Amino acid sequence: MLKRGQFHYHCSHLLILFITLICLILVPISLEAAQKKKGKNKTPALNLPPLKTQEQKMQLLGYIRQTMPTHRIGRRISFSSDDLDKALELELGQNTQRFAKQIDDETFVRRVYLDLTGNLPTPETIKTFISSRSSNKRSNLIDELLETEAYARKWARYWTSVIFYDSEANKNRISPKALEDWLAEQFNKGAPWDYITVMLISATPKRNKKVRNDYGQKYGPNNFVLACENKSTELASQTARIFMGISIKCAECHDHPFDNWKREQFHELAAFFHPYTYKMPDKDDPTVKTVVKPRFLLGEKPYEKMKSDARRVSIAAYLAYNPKNYWFARAYVNRIWSELIGDGFYDVDSLGPDSDVIHKPVVNRIAANFRYKDFDPKWLFRLIMNSKVYQREMQTISSQSELFTSVRPSRLRPDVVAASVKKLVGEDKKLHKEIMQVFDMNPSLPQGALEGSIQQALMMMNHTTLQSKLSQSELKKQLMKLSDQELVDALYLNVLARHATTEEVERNLSYLKESQSRAEAVDDLIWVLVNSTEFRTKR
Amino acid sequence: MHTDALLHLNLNRRGNVSRRNFLQSAALGIAGSSILTQFQLNAAELKKEGRSCILVWLAGAPSQMETWDPKPGTPNGGETKKISTQTPGIEIAHYWPKIASVMNDIALVRSMTGKEAAHERGTYHLHTGHRMMGIERFPHFGSVVAQEIGDPQSDIPNFVSIGQTLSSGFLGVQVAPFIINRPGQLPANVFNNTADSRQKRRLALLSQQEKDFADAGAASLVKEQSKLYQKAHSMMKSPRLKAFKFEGEPQAMQEAYGKSQLGQGLLVARRLVEVGVPFVEVRSGGWDMHNSVFKNMERRAPDVDQGLSQLLIDLKQRGLLEKTLVICMGEFGRTPKINARPPVPGRDHWVRNFNLLMAGAGIKGGQAIGKTDANGQEIVDTPVQVDDLFRSMCKAMQINADMELHTPIGRPVKLVESGEVIKGLFS
Repeated sequence: MLKRGQFHYHCSHLLILFITLICLILVPISLEAAQKKKGKNKTPALNLPPLKTQEQKMQLLGYIRQTMPTHRIGRRISFSSDDLDKALELELGQNTQRFAKQIDDETFVRRVYLDLTGNLPTPETIKTFISSRSSNKRSNLIDELLETEAYARKWARYWTSVIFYDSEANKNRISPKALEDWLAEQFNKGAPWDYITVMLISATPKRNKKVRNDYGQKYGPNNFVLACENKSTELASQTARIFMGISIKCAECHDHPFDNWKREQFHELAAFFHPYTYKMPDKDDPTVKTVVKPRFLLGEKPYEKMKSDARRVSIAAYLAYNPKNYWFARAYVNRIWSELIGDGFYDVDSLGPDSDVIHKPVVNRIAANFRYKDFDPKWLFRLIMNSKVYQREMQTISSQSELFTSVRPSRLRPDVVAASVKKLVGEDKKLHKEIMQVFDMNPSLPQGALEGSIQQALMMMNHTTLQSKLSQSELKKQLMKLSDQELVDALYLNVLARHATTEEVERNLSYLKESQSRAEAVDDLIWVLVNSTEFRTKR
Repeated sequence: MHTDALLHLNLNRRGNVSRRNFLQSAALGIAGSSILTQFQLNAAELKKEGRSCILVWLAGAPSQMETWDPKPGTPNGGETKKISTQTPGIEIAHYWPKIASVMNDIALVRSMTGKEAAHERGTYHLHTGHRMMGIERFPHFGSVVAQEIGDPQSDIPNFVSIGQTLSSGFLGVQVAPFIINRPGQLPANVFNNTADSRQKRRLALLSQQEKDFADAGAASLVKEQSKLYQKAHSMMKSPRLKAFKFEGEPQAMQEAYGKSQLGQGLLVARRLVEVGVPFVEVRSGGWDMHNSVFKNMERRAPDVDQGLSQLLIDLKQRGLLEKTLVICMGEFGRTPKINARPPVPGRDHWVRNFNLLMAGAGIKGGQAIGKTDANGQEIVDTPVQVDDLFRSMCKAMQINADMELHTPIGRPVKLVESGEVIKGLFS
């Protein structure tokens, strides 16, 4: 676990400098007012210690963080999964009558494995879990999986995809893999979300001209900035999108049509990321440009003489630590909630006016507590996954009023489909790549907006390698050795990670009996399950 | 039962069964049945009058001054020269000699005016006819065409896109674009070597398996999946699959379209239209010329020039141009003023005036609609809004532009909100 507040300062005057800087950052308006009184006097140079290395930046942030009021409040506040359920029930009011039932152990273990590891549980895991008599077994399983490498890897993959999905950066200048590895390391050791964000936003990748195609991409955290091609406009819109969940991109060209964000605000934010003087192009004639001063979205202004790398650190600080910026914590909460429950309180990265947030009191409370809990990702997973909301049966949700009375059946992400296939046929890089392509989906789109394709159906039905590998698989060999009854049960456990129902057993048994070739019939049964909607769905 | 099922289907005015009606009446088993085959034949017969559309999308937004509205000799004109065309009085940029030679079949619109100057939003506006607002996802025009004039039981998709494109939005997977990336090859995984009888058994078992999952709460996903499997299955057996390949196509014809991806894509588009696919989009990338617009034009234009002119010649020779709308456009235009971007200047985003090319489906060729001033800064004659364009596209496709589409929550939205058919566009 990453410890906080254990930053060692070499000497006391450095600390004083930090405090000075914090005052400059957090009380910018009064400072500006004071300067105005002085008249035309030049702003004195800010004598900051160098902030070149990530460690130095972290020292600064660590200090800012400790001064936050929320840090102190956090020690006295608790918010449990029960509290969450109560808050939501209060919000849902009459709709609580429509609550779906709580899921059984078998569904729970599959759901939790998919959500926390991106893999299906093995038949042994399922059996052990079901037979366990421990009353805490569900929360114990959540705790256990949160400590696995697979958990860290799954969510590192998710965020890497969020950052790179729409990136137009040259492939030679980025390294999604390095970012994924770094994120996995962070999630693994329980790094707080603010720390991760700050590392990503304040990164200042340097090009090494001596090495071909070296843009600093090998250092994981550099890759958010590289995905944005180090363009200030792109950094501005991606920062707002990914870390605040708000869409201000269209304000680049005109005032946002249905929100408060103005064109100037967008460019002020872009100026914040710009190393030099930023000029906003004219709306009608882009050749005409006006200078725009950097300003963060809630009006925070950096110290004028601040160098660009220090300014990046302060953006991160405003983002994460200005208590008025509730978007930051809420964006993370909404993303994770969306992934776990199947619907968000709003579309994850395209929030228009704040009034579009559904059940706002609930998400705001979770977000506030996430902040009190030092932005600990695992805290959030525990909170949601131990709640009744998460442990409800799935239902097709067609109206907004039904949201969160059940869990929405969610399409599995391409890497999860690939992992499920790999479990059946073993490693095959070419097949993996093809599945990743055919099942590709934008991780920032809500489940309700995603759709399947004929190509996916064709692949699962006909792919030559997949079909022949299934037919020669270890699983098939095992199944062939069993009695019909055992075969069907083992089949469902291995492919769908659950026991077959009575009807399913009967249906499959009669299929086996009516077939002339048992081997062919087994291929058919495997084919049917691999092609079932359930195989590619979180139930 | 066979004939009963057929009798109970409501045919729309073009003789096609409306999609919703079909879904209600014919039980959608996964396996194709003889009813479907019989019905398919009828529909093909009835659909003869149906129109088609080929959209040639120049992604990145081509410059109007380097395409159909050059301004040589003015401060904004740059290095682009103009050439005369087959139609006396119409001059276009010198990058397009082959288009110039078929101008009598082409209507240029030089006075488009839009509202979205960012790629994503402009692409959305010019593909759906709606601006991107709120969370409603409007369908690609191709999906509307597929729904309105496509055969709902067609054994190949009613909307094919060569290259990635927008989705069918709230119209759903039934009319979603089928995307292929390499023209001239069959879609991947379209064959299997399982015997028919065995495949039928598999599918029957699968449909029971699916029913259980639907009952467990995943009804909407299962419904979508069943449609996709049904479509995939009929596609696998389709004799029309060969339209995706160049089988039977003379070598000379392949060369006439040009060896480029785009040229070959346009040839596939013609082959698809020939077998009754009502909407095909073909994409050409690289038109976002912020830098060195003139040099980039020299590089990009020839493939489009050759492929597009050959497409028009070819469609006409086959008698297909009368009912096939061909439209070539990008998401907006580019700044008339050349930017000062070092090292080589180009043109930036500009939405106040831009242009496009249309042909076929009753459109009067040999004309240029609308006019910009000498410097290309302002429209001085017949401004055309995106709504006007979509109304005109609807007219060409014989689709009612005032029809209502229904969003998933049942909110009715007009296919085209306002506007008028472009004056003089049709003969």
